[in-house]
Amino acid sequence: MPIHRDARPILIRFDSRVFSLPAVKKAAYKYANSFAADINLEENEIVCALTLTPPVEETLSSTLIEEFKKEVLDQDLREQIKTETEPIRNLIFALAFSKTGIVSNEQVQRD
Amino acid sequence: MSKFNGIKFYKAPQSSSYTLLPLRFIPLDKDHYVLTNLAGEYLRIKRGVLVDFLRHKLSAEDPSYIELRARHFLIDETSSIAPDLLALKLRTKYSRLCEFTGLHLFVVTLRCEHSCPYCQVSRQSEDKPRYDMSPEIALGALDLTFRSPSSNIKIEFQGGEPLLNFDLIKLIVEEAKRRNQRVGKNLAFVIATNLALINDGILCFCREHSIHISTSLDGPRVLHNANRPRPGNNSYEKTIEGIKLVREALGRDQVSALMTTTEASLNCVEEIVDEYLAQGFNEIFLRPISPYGFAVKTNSYRAYNTERWLKFYKQGLNYIIDLNHHGIEFIEYYTSTILKKLLTSEDPGYVDLTSPAGIGIGAVAYNYDGYIYASDESRMLAEMGDTTFRLGKVLENSYEEIFSSPKLLEPLEASFAYSVPMCNDCAFEPYCGADPVYHHGIQGDFVGRKPTSEFCSRNMEIFRFLIHKMESDSFVRQLFTRWANSKC
Amino acid sequence: MLKLHGTLPVLSSVTKESYLVTVTKSDKLPKVIRKQRALLRTSAGDESGYKAILTKEQRNNESWRESDIFKISEDQDYLDEGDIIRLDPNSGSFQCLYRKKSPHNTILLTEQCDHYCLMCSQPPKATDDSWLLKEAFELISLIPQDTERIGLSGGEPTLYRDKFIGLLHHIRRSLPNTGVDILSNGRAFKDKEFAKKYSSVNHPNMIIGIPIFSDDPVRHEYVVQSKGAFDDTIRGILNLKEFEQNVEIRVVIHKQTINRLVQTCEFIARNLLFADHVALMGLEITGFTRPNLETLWIDPFEYKDVLSEAVALLNGYGMTASIYNHQLCTINPDARGNYKKSISDWKTEYLEECVSCTKRSECGGFFSSSKKYQHSNHIKAFA
Repeated sequence: MPIHRDARPILIRFDSRVFSLPAVKKAAYKYANSFAADINLEENEIVCALTLTPPVEETLSSTLIEEFKKEVLDQDLREQIKTETEPIRNLIFALAFSKTGIVSNEQVQRD
Repeated sequence: MSKFNGIKFYKAPQSSSYTLLPLRFIPLDKDHYVLTNLAGEYLRIKRGVLVDFLRHKLSAEDPSYIELRARHFLIDETSSIAPDLLALKLRTKYSRLCEFTGLHLFVVTLRCEHSCPYCQVSRQSEDKPRYDMSPEIALGALDLTFRSPSSNIKIEFQGGEPLLNFDLIKLIVEEAKRRNQRVGKNLAFVIATNLALINDGILCFCREHSIHISTSLDGPRVLHNANRPRPGNNSYEKTIEGIKLVREALGRDQVSALMTTTEASLNCVEEIVDEYLAQGFNEIFLRPISPYGFAVKTNSYRAYNTERWLKFYKQGLNYIIDLNHHGIEFIEYYTSTILKKLLTSEDPGYVDLTSPAGIGIGAVAYNYDGYIYASDESRMLAEMGDTTFRLGKVLENSYEEIFSSPKLLEPLEASFAYSVPMCNDCAFEPYCGADPVYHHGIQGDFVGRKPTSEFCSRNMEIFRFLIHKMESDSFVRQLFTRWANSKC
Repeated sequence: MLKLHGTLPVLSSVTKESYLVTVTKSDKLPKVIRKQRALLRTSAGDESGYKAILTKEQRNNESWRESDIFKISEDQDYLDEGDIIRLDPNSGSFQCLYRKKSPHNTILLTEQCDHYCLMCSQPPKATDDSWLLKEAFELISLIPQDTERIGLSGGEPTLYRDKFIGLLHHIRRSLPNTGVDILSNGRAFKDKEFAKKYSSVNHPNMIIGIPIFSDDPVRHEYVVQSKGAFDDTIRGILNLKEFEQNVEIRVVIHKQTINRLVQTCEFIARNLLFADHVALMGLEITGFTRPNLETLWIDPFEYKDVLSEAVALLNGYGMTASIYNHQLCTINPDARGNYKKSISDWKTEYLEECVSCTKRSECGGFFSSSKKYQHSNHIKAFA
């Protein structure tokens, strides 16, 4: 099996109108022990240059790339949904902690 | 009589339209979808009807329309009470949440004379008293217990084998009751024991203080003893004898049994149910094996997977339904817990399947060494070297520090099912739960990726299975309605 | 069926207007009490000083000269000690308002109603009959304190609004040990203030029975013939419960409600689980039911399986449910646990077929109207 001896970075592009930058960064961070990511914003694209560390054989690197793309989507969705559902989430947790004496009245009112 | 109007008079005008109430949907089988409304009530619907409904093309004459309106999936000019009723049902569902921590696990010792391979507790052998909880820690843990706002407090003694430190159990029970005289909570005690060490003195104390016994019965003798090695290889015999003694001393219903599913259990679910019947139980809990403690170390977790467990569960449930058909009242506990969520607005308070997750909010564990964990599973994870869910230490941290610890709040918030991908728009979310401990243990983060989560796939399959059974068999429907409303 | 009202020949009279009076058979009462009693003559004795005499004999007795004298027939044979009646010496009009031996005394408060149910057994009249409410106050004062329960119905009693609440307060004071059963469509209670006033009566043993005929608002409103009824009624029930009042839900089973009976019970179980009782009721062939018979009538024997399913559902949810106004041979054995003998004793009848029935004493029998006009074709004596 050929191994990427030259360690040329693999380029992956994400449409920046679809995916957020923080999502890409979080995903890259998660794979930090599999590759180093160089992230740049070019026009409508977030360009990731991934250097596999240590270099691996091709089938494994394709799997890693696939997983990375899935992770970007995952993180992007998490972010979006978390923001959208913040009011309800705060309401439920305020209710949960309402009798513990831990949440101050101020906080409850704010929520 | 001409003075009476026909039904047409009371319908909405032909031209009027309807509004969708908050809902989610998911495929059930090749022809049907399941809809769930804001209050978690479900409706099975044909795909074609669903499409028309969502596109606002469904006719008010269609029987499905009437069903959808009555079950609070749509609202039109004829009635506007649906939001009030949905709100009421939703408030009811969440009303238990602010009771907060009801289950307090006291790990009074790590010593145990069994050596079960799947044991989630990395038990120490019998002769090391330094693995016992000290009275100081016990009293400190009681301070924290009574600080909980819950009007119902259940103190569960665990181990190792808790009876090896029975003196401490006595101290805790007596002290808890003494303190409770001032406070007046509903106090309940449970000892989770293998019963090998039960004796008259212990039974006498349990009777005096109405302590419930929870023991393990994995199935028929061969299976049980294979799962639970002990010197003398007589775990089963001891358990059966112990059950008998407890019933005689405390009453028939004062002892319950839990099974643990292992590789060996998977092919003999009917024999296991039969064993429970033979021992006079009318309830069984078909549990999945959880990936903690010795289970992972000794590979018995990898030995089976979701597919096989589901087969085991379905076969077991079908067998139990058959028993009920023949007039034998027998309940499967996990199913009845889920059914409570499907068919009522009650919260079963089952800490392992709830969102927000049951960690801290539902249960807390005080370990023998004083460390406090967000759940039993969190403690087991720590035994494997992962202290992510360790919240603090008895006598060192205050209640506020423990329950507002980021180690609790972060996983709670991150795992909140409504706020995460896939769960957020899953129709089954009201029935399911968040399990940050599991997902952290298996996938490395509190949320987990649900498409690859066995927690998710297992639960989804169970929901589909139960709904399908109810929709196709009226006996099962009625049986399940009774199960959903039982007080177990 | 007992004839609780009628017209009696007036042999002679002293009083000018109608009045309520308690029946007695005793000729040993002190004079003071006699002035408040109507003597039901059984044998000759000292019969002077009674407010009224009820006699089967067509003659005048010298000692009766202070009394109003009414001639009764065997139609009034049911009258007994302690019954309360209204007598009108001008018209001879007679009505029995309270029977001491009956467990089912109900006071009619009005015939006015804001509904027009297809099967109404007391068809609404628009005339001002507020005198009924006034009379009810007086009747309450006469009813003995050891009475277990009384009912209040109409028409729609809550149309009196605050005056109705006033009556409840009066009942609480006059009959502190008597349970109260109210029949109402519940709509007035959509007004929270009114619900609050109702709850302020603080009665220890009062329950209000409110009909819901379908989980489908259109169908419910069709049956009660009033738009907006569904929402108002539900809101009323929710308000009553907020003030912790006892509520019974009543469902009358007929051709217009049978198709969604199970769904309606499911609606009750999911949305109104706090209801204290659910009554599933058979049709009474009186009032509007007769002209609407074609629209309404379905033989209970045909729907017995649906009824079983409905009752099993309510039982499954732990609700208390009763089957009223059915015959035992028209329901399935599995529904017997919920079966109650419910027809007011003065209305109960049996058929010839029932003479040999071994379960007759457990069966509630028929409404006289059902016996006369329409009943199940599947009545069969149990062997």
